[in-house]
Amino acid sequence: MPQAIPDAIRLDGVSKSFRLDDGKTVTALEGIDLGLREGEFVAVLGPSGCGKSTVLRLIAGLETASTGAVRIEGRAPSELAAAHRLGVAFQDHALLPWLSVAQNIALPYRVAGSKVDHARVDALIELVGLTGFRDARPSQLSGGMRQRASIARALVLDPDVLLLDEPFGALDAVTRRHMNVELQRIWGTRTLTTLLVTHSVDEAIFLADRIIVMTGRPGRILREVTVPFPRPRDPSVLRTPEFHALVDELTLALDPEEAAL
Amino acid sequence: MTRLSQFLARNWAVLLLLALWQGWVSLADLNSIVLPAPWPVLRDVLSHPALYLANAAQTLATATAGVAIGLGFGALVAVAAWASRLLAGMLTPLGLIFSSVPVVALIPILARLLGYDISTVVAIVAVSAFFPTFVFVGAGLKDLPRGADDLFSVLGASRAARLRHLVLPAAVPNLMIALRITVPEGVLAAILAEFLMGRSGLGFMFREAASRFAMERALGTSLVVTVAAVLCFSLAHRAERVIRTRWS
Repeated sequence: MPQAIPDAIRLDGVSKSFRLDDGKTVTALEGIDLGLREGEFVAVLGPSGCGKSTVLRLIAGLETASTGAVRIEGRAPSELAAAHRLGVAFQDHALLPWLSVAQNIALPYRVAGSKVDHARVDALIELVGLTGFRDARPSQLSGGMRQRASIARALVLDPDVLLLDEPFGALDAVTRRHMNVELQRIWGTRTLTTLLVTHSVDEAIFLADRIIVMTGRPGRILREVTVPFPRPRDPSVLRTPEFHALVDELTLALDPEEAAL
Repeated sequence: MTRLSQFLARNWAVLLLLALWQGWVSLADLNSIVLPAPWPVLRDVLSHPALYLANAAQTLATATAGVAIGLGFGALVAVAAWASRLLAGMLTPLGLIFSSVPVVALIPILARLLGYDISTVVAIVAVSAFFPTFVFVGAGLKDLPRGADDLFSVLGASRAARLRHLVLPAAVPNLMIALRITVPEGVLAAILAEFLMGRSGLGFMFREAASRFAMERALGTSLVVTVAAVLCFSLAHRAERVIRTRWS
């Protein structure tokens, strides 16, 4: 596929195998080709254990590919992290328990050795709806609030790449929907190449421009779907027949056994 | 009335001990050279407050200095072991050797090396505080919050930034555990060292009194030692709990 602009993130023929304690090797990913354009929001959708988190960890530079290449703007992922241009929100928020919400969100500044922009920290606290909780510690917050703080922290250095590893996986359905609406709103305020890993079909369709459906053991890309809904997306999109049709289509794609019936 | 019953509920064991002590002395009709009754002991403490306070202050100052040095070195060496695998390989067995040698056995050696004065007592306390600190802080440096390691990788943290913003703060609760353990141990080590080789402090005071059969004075010293040790322990324990809540 010829393209005028090269992809911001590229995975070419990537496979990843892990050696287990008993000496056996397990292939988590096989033959992954994936490209993200600059400013594109891509969701990786798949059942648990399909290796979708491994895709994210490869792009974050937390794992290295067994074969193939992972490139961000033509360079190794670790270079992006070293330049403090990568934002990641993890499944388990990873907030430091001894810091307040504001201090946690300001942490990337301190780690980068730059001056903390308190105005920006406060603005992000407001953006994620944690005003009034800036001095609270993570243990005093609900699960949803912790995830919002974690997303604010991922955004604070205004990164070029945002990686979201099931950031709402532990939340109940209602909170999760609220968080999706908020994330969509936040994401609309800036250009940000984003990869979201999720097992929720609704979440993927509501948030992403493009959805990569994966199957497990070993993890492969099953199909790619471009989401037709224009932005900004109103939560009412979630109730349209087109939305439901796409949910049904992708749910079937995720469960080939049901599709065969 | 409720206050009295509360007091009884908390301190019944101490009161029982005192009653048994008094009862034993009265029933066995013991000479005060063998064992004085509780009241004369207490009277000796109350009638010589300056003497007891001065010696207690000296012992506590020695213990505090020793514990501070031991904690400082223990934490420093633990960080050095964190920073370098080579150092970890060298320091861990050394620390183990230190820990398995009882303080009593170290006292003559250290006294020979450093001389028979107060600095040796401080050194002995520091040695007794060093190892628990090394072990606990060393474990604390590795006990990071879930996901924090990955977080610092994706933030592009340098090793120094990781140490300062993640590893050191993560070890603070364990440092407090080390403090709680080493403070009473430090008081004990200080008294033991004073007893064996000191020229002042509660340990020396006990030995001096016992040698001339001034049993009220000797047991009065024991009483002050006990109170001081319990006080130190509860302070350290409280500090540990405050930090633990703050850190979780």
